[in-house]
Amino acid sequence: MSSEYSVELKGLNKIYSNLLKEDTVALKDINLQIKPGEFISIIGPSGCGKSTLLRIIGNLDKPTSGTISYRDGADQQMGFVFQDSVLLPWKNVKQNAEFPLVIQKKQTKENEEKLDELLELAGLSEFKTALPRELSGGMKQRVSIVRALSYDAPLLLMDEPFGALDALTRDHLNEELLKIWQKTKKTVIFVTHSIEEATFLSDRVIVMSARPGQIKEVVTIDLARPRGDVTRNDPRFAEYNKYLRGIIG
Amino acid sequence: MKKKGKSAGFLRSVGEYALSIGVFIVVWWLYVGLKDVPAYILPSPPKVFKSLVEMFVKGSVYAHLWTTSYEVVLGFLIGGFLGVLFGYVFIKIDALKTMLMPYLIFLQTAPKIALVPLFVVWFGIGLVSKVVLIISMVLFPVLSGMMLGLESIPPDVRNLMKVLKATKWQVFTQVEMQYSLPALFASLKVGIVQAVIGAIVAEWMSGKQGLGYILTYASSTYDTPMLLAGIIVTIVLGIVTYQAVSVLEDRMLYWHESKKA
Ligand SMILES: Nc1ncnc2c1ncn2[C@@H]1O[C@H](COP(=O)(O)OP(=O)(O)OP(=O)(O)O)[C@@H](O)[C@H]1O
Ligand SMILES: [Mg+2]
Repeated sequence: MSSEYSVELKGLNKIYSNLLKEDTVALKDINLQIKPGEFISIIGPSGCGKSTLLRIIGNLDKPTSGTISYRDGADQQMGFVFQDSVLLPWKNVKQNAEFPLVIQKKQTKENEEKLDELLELAGLSEFKTALPRELSGGMKQRVSIVRALSYDAPLLLMDEPFGALDALTRDHLNEELLKIWQKTKKTVIFVTHSIEEATFLSDRVIVMSARPGQIKEVVTIDLARPRGDVTRNDPRFAEYNKYLRGIIG
Repeated sequence: MKKKGKSAGFLRSVGEYALSIGVFIVVWWLYVGLKDVPAYILPSPPKVFKSLVEMFVKGSVYAHLWTTSYEVVLGFLIGGFLGVLFGYVFIKIDALKTMLMPYLIFLQTAPKIALVPLFVVWFGIGLVSKVVLIISMVLFPVLSGMMLGLESIPPDVRNLMKVLKATKWQVFTQVEMQYSLPALFASLKVGIVQAVIGAIVAEWMSGKQGLGYILTYASSTYDTPMLLAGIIVTIVLGIVTYQAVSVLEDRMLYWHESKKA
């Protein structure tokens, strides 16, 4: 099914059956329409079903009921950034980043040039031949983002990509991510635990409640772009954070 | 810089080897000399050395060495290949694993020596029965290693391949094989040792060729120097084949934690 939206979710439910315990209702009646080029964050308490929702959108899991439609139909190309960078340890930075191009047989000169640009943009140009074990956590995650962008999929799904990083590195990578997003015009769905991160990055923040995982509220973040240090010092930034904290409770 | 450190380390370990073997030979020599042990029980090191040199100078050993090496390499390659294949198939198709695993465990736990006469009846006293025995000894450890390796792949790597819409073949060649390599090589090292043992045992029990045959021949004619020389050649063959697997491992696992300089 194709859709005018980048992704459209209708009446999505996910129930994990368990022989020993009661069934877990991980997602209940999720309805969501995401416009092309939008930056969406999903936030909510631990175990509320954020990862489950993202995995279902990414076709890594099946909903128990409900439908998903993508702009490009069933074979929608997507990039997925996992919580751990999942780089292949025997491949160097460049080889990891171009891995999708190899798998999808898209190693054209044009794509290779784009990849070099992305590596440059992510500040990885000097580390092209380094193995993952030689990189810091932040650098690994940057490689993993470049990898997800390398084949130019219009939809980018990210599950707490910066969760394991310190606050400074995280702020820095957030700004870089926004730059890349502004350049590439992708739709991003970003799962996070951090309210500030969600506010800083997003056009809209989806707040979920736990057990059963439902959408509690959708908050539109009306802060000017491009965002940066100025945004963080804006009193409205703090207000949004306070408001979101209030809903999550 | 790195290279130099490596070769210095290599020289030192060779030196340590030589020292330990040297001490062993001196003790052996002293024991034989002081206690007046008859040569047919335990010959002195020079006698064994002489017998060893004769084997190579007269050239009698080459055909046997070749036969054994050929069996070892052939059996190891086929057994290794089958181990990888079965390991992969068992992980992918659970029903096959449930059906076939009991037989493999039986084959693994049955004393191999008891199987040799059976293999001789089935496959004759030539190459085939020996290679079959070796395969039966290599197959199981490699299969276990392959299964362990495949199970150690992080789930998100599989998810990544799914997101990229990779084919099964791509998943196998691009990630499953590499992630299996550490466990696989651990089992291949067990396998190559098993292969040498298998070859010797098989030749020892049947056949007119190979290092195992030299051992039985020397033993039945009470030519103890030749017996010991044969044992030394066998041990060297074992070390060389094991090292060959080790070197290949170092090459292919350059990226692995265990290979950090
Ligand atoms: N494979 C599974 N089998 C059974 N239950 C599962 C499975 N995966 C997730 N769950 C359950 O579904 C619920 C939602 O899990 P999910 O991982 O989506 O939460 P989350 O919001 O991503 O949490 P976190 O913020 O801690 O990452 C949890 O209660 C979890 O126990
Ligand atoms: Mg999660």
